[in-house]
This record gives sequence, C-alpha cells and structure tokens, in this order.
Amino acid sequence: MELATAIEILFFIILPLTPWILSFAGTLLYQPAKKNALLERETASAKSGDSLSTLSKPFAGKEVREFELVMASVVMGPSWIQIVIGGLLSLFGGEINTFTKIVDWARREAKQRLREQVASKGFDDVINMRIETTVMSKTRGNKDKTTGVEILVYGTAIKY
Amino acid sequence: MQPQVNLLFSNTETIPGMTITQSLGVVSGSTVRAKNVFKDIGAGLKNMVGGELKAYTQLLQESRNEALYRMLVDAQSRGANAVVNVRFATSSVSGGAAELLAYGTAVTVQ
Repeated sequence: MELATAIEILFFIILPLTPWILSFAGTLLYQPAKKNALLERETASAKSGDSLSTLSKPFAGKEVREFELVMASVVMGPSWIQIVIGGLLSLFGGEINTFTKIVDWARREAKQRLREQVASKGFDDVINMRIETTVMSKTRGNKDKTTGVEILVYGTAIKY
Repeated sequence: MQPQVNLLFSNTETIPGMTITQSLGVVSGSTVRAKNVFKDIGAGLKNMVGGELKAYTQLLQESRNEALYRMLVDAQSRGANAVVNVRFATSSVSGGAAELLAYGTAVTVQ
C-alpha cells in the first residue's frame, strides 16, 4: 500500500513536473548566471570605449587602411515558464516583460560577440552597424510554435 | 571544393579609399537550410531552460556564409570586382528551416 502510493506519486506528480521544475530553475539560476558573465565581458571591453557605431563613414574623416564585413549572430529562446507567463500577460496587453528580457539579452550578446570578434582580428572600429531580428518558429500540427529569436549584427570593421 | 572568389565587399556605400567607376546591378545569393532531427530535439530540450540555442546559431552562421558566397559568385560572373551596400535578410520557413538572403550592388572600383 505504502509502495503503491509512492509509485503513484512518482509517476503522476513528480515525473510530469520535472521539466517544469527544470524550466523554473533555468529561468531563476541559469539565465542570470549567463547574463552576469555577459555583463563582465561588456564591462571589460567598454574600458576602451565602444567600437560599434552606425555611422556610414569613419569618424573624423580618418584614412582607412583595411576593412572587412563582419557579422555575429545568436539564437535565444525563452524558457517554458517565460512562454507561459508571456502568454498570460498578453491577455492583458501592455509590455510582455519576459520576452523583452530575452530579446534584449540576445541583442546584447550578439553585439558583444561582434566587439570581441573585431578586437581579436585587430580592427579598430565598426561602422555602418545594422541589427536584424528574425523569429524562428517550428510548426507542430497546424500551430506555429516560437522556439527563439535570431539576432544578427553586422557591419564593416575598419583599421586606421 | 568551391572555387575561390576574390572580391571586396562591404556594407558601406563606398569601398574605403577607392572610387566606383561602374554599377553592374543588384546581385543576391540565398539558401534554405534545416538542422537534423537530433539537433532539433537538443534545441527543444534547451528551450526548457531558455537561453542560447547553439545548434541554430551555428546553422544560421554556416548558411549565411553560403548565401554570401553565392552572392559573390554572382557578382564575379558579372565582371564586378567589389560589392557594396551588402544587406542580409532572414526568414524562417516552417519546420525549423530558415531562408538566408544576402544582396548588394555589384560595382567595379579603382
């Protein structure tokens, strides 16, 4: 009797809930940890000023010795919990905070990757930077399921 | 093995330090790609906790390079030696597949 109840609890309550517990833990622990790591990288590369700009010409008419088209991209997805909260919030309208956070994070990550890529190749600046956003979705049955959002950041890296 | 293309390309309106002598029209390259089922499952699991889906990031990066390469081949076949104002566009087709498009203006520069 005791064992049967234990098995019932295991199969009908704990196992179905495991993904949700993982999702909850991911939202509360994994994501902030990744964001903190990103913030540290951003702080490190911000010491010498931001190398990215949307100007179409090099700053102060400087002479360009070398250039290259560079790009960085990242695909980020919200966790299950964030999708559910987002779905509930969209009933009321207004800002969907959980999705704002994910898209903002993805954009920062992509920009930071471009900065690091440009620095490691020895370029000084990036001009004419553009940001593209695409929603990646998966069709299951006749329902479109959003899996993530892709952010592409590209521009022309220049060397003075 | 893909043939090598040696073209200058930039997303600015001019090639720095050079002048455009001739415009040869718009060139473009595109590709539609999907990741295999196993990586789709992996991404589905990662979706549980949220955050980066590395398999898709990698897929899109590879495909974008391919689209860019096709654009350059198109430009070379027209006798251009540079492509200016390169732009990228992405759209997701159903089933985890994505279409990547690269386009720009083929020019000759001096």
